[in-house]
Amino acid sequence: MASAGSGDEKAAAAAMITLISSDNEKFEVTEATATLSQTIRHMIEDGCTDGGVPLPNVTSKILARVIEYCKKHATAAAGEEGSSSSFSDAAFLEVDRAFLEELEEFDDAFLEVDRATLFDLILAANYLDIKGLLNLTCQKVADSVKGKTPEQIREMYNIVNDLTPEEEAEIRRETQWAFE
Amino acid sequence: MTTPPPPPAIPGELVEEALLRVPPDDPASLVRASLVCKDWCRLISAPGFRRRLSERHGAPPLLGFVGSVTDTDGRLGITRFLPTSSFRPRRAEADLFGWVAIHSCHGRVLLFRRPWCANPRENRLLVWDPVADERRELPRMSWRPEPVPESWNAAVLCSASAAAGCNYSDCHRGPFLVIFVGTLGSTTATSVYSSDANAWSERTSARVSFIQYHIEATAIAENALYFNTITGTRLVKCDLSTREVSWINLPTEASKRDIVLMAMEDGRLGFAMVKEDNLYIWSREVGLDGEKRWAQSRIIELNKLLPADALYVEPHLAGYANGAGVVFLWTCGGFFSVDLNSLRVEERGGSYRLGKSVVPVMSFCTPALGAASTGEGSGPGA
Repeated sequence: MASAGSGDEKAAAAAMITLISSDNEKFEVTEATATLSQTIRHMIEDGCTDGGVPLPNVTSKILARVIEYCKKHATAAAGEEGSSSSFSDAAFLEVDRAFLEELEEFDDAFLEVDRATLFDLILAANYLDIKGLLNLTCQKVADSVKGKTPEQIREMYNIVNDLTPEEEAEIRRETQWAFE
Repeated sequence: MTTPPPPPAIPGELVEEALLRVPPDDPASLVRASLVCKDWCRLISAPGFRRRLSERHGAPPLLGFVGSVTDTDGRLGITRFLPTSSFRPRRAEADLFGWVAIHSCHGRVLLFRRPWCANPRENRLLVWDPVADERRELPRMSWRPEPVPESWNAAVLCSASAAAGCNYSDCHRGPFLVIFVGTLGSTTATSVYSSDANAWSERTSARVSFIQYHIEATAIAENALYFNTITGTRLVKCDLSTREVSWINLPTEASKRDIVLMAMEDGRLGFAMVKEDNLYIWSREVGLDGEKRWAQSRIIELNKLLPADALYVEPHLAGYANGAGVVFLWTCGGFFSVDLNSLRVEERGGSYRLGKSVVPVMSFCTPALGAASTGEGSGPGA
């Protein structure tokens, strides 16, 4: 009996993970939320999460946002698994569609951040290996380049033009069509 | 008064992650991004970037198509590149005058010079790569097929495709082949042009009797080239490994109908045909007995997609963009493209009246630059 009880306790404890930001703030999250990060998933599989997972590359400000994203998307993943038996196909599709729309709205609102935060989120998504978040944030940068001139992109991202005039002229000559 | 702090610089290692997500059918944005600075320029023009683009996006995007148009002045039969993306070829119309596009593969377009002559020395074929801005006129062949119309056809393919394996990314600016088939007496003869040798191979013959081809719509599927014929009942198959030529029959439902040949996503042979208001997709399935047979895999109701005035007369299939999954339809109410995945329909051709056959061009399009992309600090700074 006693051994079974401690087993249950272990299982309950294992379902929560503590993440520790670079500025030493602790975040309690469910395993389902944490494992959206492949990096953390591997740490859990290797049993190295006792006493919390230190994330020296992620500040508490950014980690809080990342967790917000993971919570929402972990719920989405759980919803997809659980709901198929409780609805007829049509009702299921309807609920599914509504949920996807909600998720899209969440993502749009999530991206309403300044550029510094966006870059930090990309770095964190990359380090934590969260595919959905990396995709979302990088796509935002990709979309921002669309239709812009090189000058506008440089200004947007604070980049110094170190191409020589000769190099620039050569490229423009080769690809004049892209500037018309 | 305080000035706001400058925006932070984008971390270098993330630039590629972001730029890989610029939609491939907007190459102009990528090209402009390559002019931002040396780092971005090197990154975008590196061969590895092109490879990763294809890993991320799969098949190359549809950039546009080559077709014969009647222009607003009523000039007939002018060959033009009509863009469906932000890509524009550097030179086009004047250089294409008198040439007719018949096939394309991995960004290369094969064209022949009209009129096709009885004298083989006068017959000319051209391979044009609009992205690389390269054109190569092929040497003349030493033989000619029967001097009747449409007694030949030809296709261009990258050497990697011919060797049964091309992931689209490495063949750019690489070697290519042109395979020519023609009716010669009671046989079908083939010759292969290789860009490496810049020469045609010896002629080989197969006992496949007189054929007239539709000089359009060749598919590369199941490690073979398939050519459509005007009998409307059979296809000519040219095996890419053995170069053997043989027939395969079309299903009776497709008999005498306009079809466009296609390679399905998994590489099987397929075709599309229009009957009344419907577009039918057929593909070759392997039955339980291991035999290949035709099966109708999809029906698309065009009356739900096209305007009513486009369907007064049965539409004509004008082309198919392999990989991109887009069919082109010539109708009495305009020229349309239909994306078979999204079912998105777009009117194409603008003010031009297009001919009944077009050759789509699919390719990734990244700048290949000289000094700026390779040299490390070559020359004095700005």
